[in-house]
Amino acid sequence: MTPRALPTLWTVRTPTGARSCRREGDTFVSASTPWLRERVSLLRLFVGNDFRARYRAQALGVLWSLLQPLVMMAILSLVFTRAFRSTEPNFPIFLLLGLLVWQWVSSSLNAATLAFVANAELVKRTVFPRVLLPMSSVLSYGINAGIESMALVALIPFFPGAFHPGLSLVLVPVVLLLLVTLLSGAALAIAALNVIYRDVAYLVSTGLSILYWLTPIVYPPTLLPDAWRELFSWNPLYGIVTMLRGIVMHAEWPTLSAWIHLLVPTLVVLLAGTALFRRHEREMLDHV
Amino acid sequence: MSEPILELHGVGKSFRRFDHPPFLLRNLLTLVRKKDVDKSFWPLRDVSATIYRGETVALVGRNGSGKSTLLRLVAGAAFPTEGYIAVRGRIAPLLQLGAGFQPDMTGRECARINGAALGLAPDEIDARMGAISTFAELDDFLDTPVRYYSSGMMARLGFAVAVHTDPDLLLVDEVLAVGDHAFQDKCLARIEALRADGVTILFVSHDEQMVRRLCARALLIDGGHLAIDGPVNDVMARYAAVLAGA
Repeated sequence: MTPRALPTLWTVRTPTGARSCRREGDTFVSASTPWLRERVSLLRLFVGNDFRARYRAQALGVLWSLLQPLVMMAILSLVFTRAFRSTEPNFPIFLLLGLLVWQWVSSSLNAATLAFVANAELVKRTVFPRVLLPMSSVLSYGINAGIESMALVALIPFFPGAFHPGLSLVLVPVVLLLLVTLLSGAALAIAALNVIYRDVAYLVSTGLSILYWLTPIVYPPTLLPDAWRELFSWNPLYGIVTMLRGIVMHAEWPTLSAWIHLLVPTLVVLLAGTALFRRHEREMLDHV
Repeated sequence: MSEPILELHGVGKSFRRFDHPPFLLRNLLTLVRKKDVDKSFWPLRDVSATIYRGETVALVGRNGSGKSTLLRLVAGAAFPTEGYIAVRGRIAPLLQLGAGFQPDMTGRECARINGAALGLAPDEIDARMGAISTFAELDDFLDTPVRYYSSGMMARLGFAVAVHTDPDLLLVDEVLAVGDHAFQDKCLARIEALRADGVTILFVSHDEQMVRRLCARALLIDGGHLAIDGPVNDVMARYAAVLAGA
């Protein structure tokens, strides 16, 4: 049998990274290579496995995902409407929208700390685009969030006055895409740094509990003094939560200023996260 | 001489050594990252070699001489600190059997992840799933979570996936030490079949008989340096001298 021809492209690994190259005599010249298809199919595989593994470990399976946010909503609604006398109309729905976003944020960033550590053998002994592991943490908890939001749908008959959906619903995917972008940027940095520095998981969980109170989840932003609100609104989660509430509950179109307050920090997190990941990727491989 | 498939040019790898695990918070607070250049050590340095298509080459050397580090660099699971490595074609790194197996996943899911990490698209793996499970002798257990597998079953599945990826370059790091003799013979037969098909093989082994049986050429790594690169007889003689001197 005649062996198939070797590809003309070489992979050249240097101290600064890997490149695809054409060979010209004794030197290697960089060339581009199609890579999207391979990445997408690998990502689907990782996300699917992550998701299935999570539910296999739970007796109630997917049902648990519906119950948990409802239980949280019930208990927090009780505390905030009876004890703190919140006057926010339709408080349970207002709260649930915030909780659904928060659940996705906190569980995917917590999972990201383990993205490489828990897959150490895979990372150390095989070769694939490493960015896909933290991204699959974000996306597989995104599927969770999708299932959890069925709880929201189930509540529509009980709170008929809370929902005023309109044409602005078309913006929901845009807002969610920004959330995925934001979380991916953060997850990349967290996953790589946690391999090298042992305390990153603690910093993340402390950071998340601070972020929880800096985001208007259990309180409406109108409760904040004006100066604080301006400051808080640069938190990208502030924009995501308030936009989703405005769209679902009041058929609002977000203002230009709201978009800017969301887009700028999201891009900063994405670029900083990617840069941190790139900078630590090769060293991380030596420590995992 | 046929076309080159792997080129190493002055390849070196250093690792940073830490006295204690590093903490991000302390580094951020002190804002000083101590330059621990003298704390780095070089398990591998100044290795240059070219491997041609269709060759079967053994990497020999004492424990800790840098053989596994070299294979990890070739596989792309780590990056060199100096020099460069150029490689082409599909690489199947058998650095550890069953890398990426998670206890709660079924054998089939593990084979998919493992195969994907070896460069196979999911539909390509599914097309070979029958051959893989037959080779691994796992037909009734393919949909059982691997936590119920014996270590032998895990190793068989890992090997079966790797040798069914249709590689151009197979990297083998002493993984054949696992399994019983019947399975070892089967693995060896499979490696010889791949070799006969023109697959290039680079493998680490302490088994002199296997080295002589499979290879015409060998590289001796000693103390992180390439001590000799040549016909297997010359290299094994030099290796014997190194062992005797130890």
